[in-house]
Amino acid sequence: MTAKLSYLDNLKDYLRVDPATESDVVRELDAHLEDKSQELRESGFSEEEATEAAVQFLGSPQLVARQMYEVYSQGNWRQALFAALPHFLIASLFALHCWHSTTWLLAILVAVIGVVIYGWCRGKPAWLFPWLGYCLIPVLAVGTLLISLPGGWAWLATAAYVPLVLFVLVSATKQTIKRDWLFASLMLLPIPIVLGWILALGIEDGLLRYEHVYDISPWIALSFAVLAVTAATFIRIRQRWAKAGALLTAQILLLQMGALTGKYAVSFWAWVLLILLCLFLLIGPALLERKIR
Amino acid sequence: MNYGRELLKGSTDSLLLCLISHQPVYGYQIIKDLEKRSNGYFQFKEGTLYPALHRLEKAEFVQGKWQKLPGGQERRYYYITKKGQKALEERLAVWQDFSTAVDLIMQPVGG
Repeated sequence: MTAKLSYLDNLKDYLRVDPATESDVVRELDAHLEDKSQELRESGFSEEEATEAAVQFLGSPQLVARQMYEVYSQGNWRQALFAALPHFLIASLFALHCWHSTTWLLAILVAVIGVVIYGWCRGKPAWLFPWLGYCLIPVLAVGTLLISLPGGWAWLATAAYVPLVLFVLVSATKQTIKRDWLFASLMLLPIPIVLGWILALGIEDGLLRYEHVYDISPWIALSFAVLAVTAATFIRIRQRWAKAGALLTAQILLLQMGALTGKYAVSFWAWVLLILLCLFLLIGPALLERKIR
Repeated sequence: MNYGRELLKGSTDSLLLCLISHQPVYGYQIIKDLEKRSNGYFQFKEGTLYPALHRLEKAEFVQGKWQKLPGGQERRYYYITKKGQKALEERLAVWQDFSTAVDLIMQPVGG
């Protein structure tokens, strides 16, 4: 493998931009390396020396990739609002006590699926990932409800459904990580929150009690409003470390919120489980990315 | 040395816009033109040029277009947009005022 190919491969590994931009950047730097090598060859360098020197002149691929990331990582306000929209819709559903309306739930589900298909076909822009996360919520929620079935049915449901859920979750996360692990963490952000509220409310005969949800719905609305603000902030921030910081801050805030809901506060062990899950969903994609790359 | 680097950093976008406004250019050509026209004073770190060009493109000051050369090579030429032309004119005006004011202060008293 020549120094040029090795450089361009390294650059691709570090570049975390959409596929079309990645292709442009790599082709452009490839053309640059060709021009520079040719100039060096004309001044007496051998082919190998010329390529190696051209690569040296271009500098570290990590630095170029990081600077490119900072050019493209900041979305505009429209994109930020669009990223926050699914969380706002869910927050409104609970704030206006419409969460039990089948019409509203179906409308949101159709909107989520429609937006996900649209975004997926348009090259997976950053605003898509919060929407994508909501495609996973029904899968998890059904699984949680099945596990709470009485008697031996729960075990049967666990054996059949949990591997399926894990498969869907891991496949979606792996696909997202190929673009950027931070998007995977953003996508998975609502999962511990939804799970936390289900644990806090308690399930009776496979169902959530209407009065319980009614009591706690302002808190649920607030937690999704926090998610909305986090998604918008994530899109508007330029640096990677700040994006990761925004996700971590949201998780801490939301876990605190779960402990402040009076009689519906989750038990100590459920809280520990949620903390571990939050950490896993935040750091797990980064570790998985290292393994994939 | 650091002061010179800071000055260049603050003027990079204007220098690039100015070069691109004369004629459509590609990355490597920009590096050579900058070096030649400044008598070797501006020696761009090659890797930092492309993020700067893409930043200008994202701001819609320039537009990159791929062109295939007769030899089969491909190059991405940058064209200045109307928005970029306007931004350049504004920057040039600010630069003229700034440069005149600096000269007034820096030139020897009574010189």
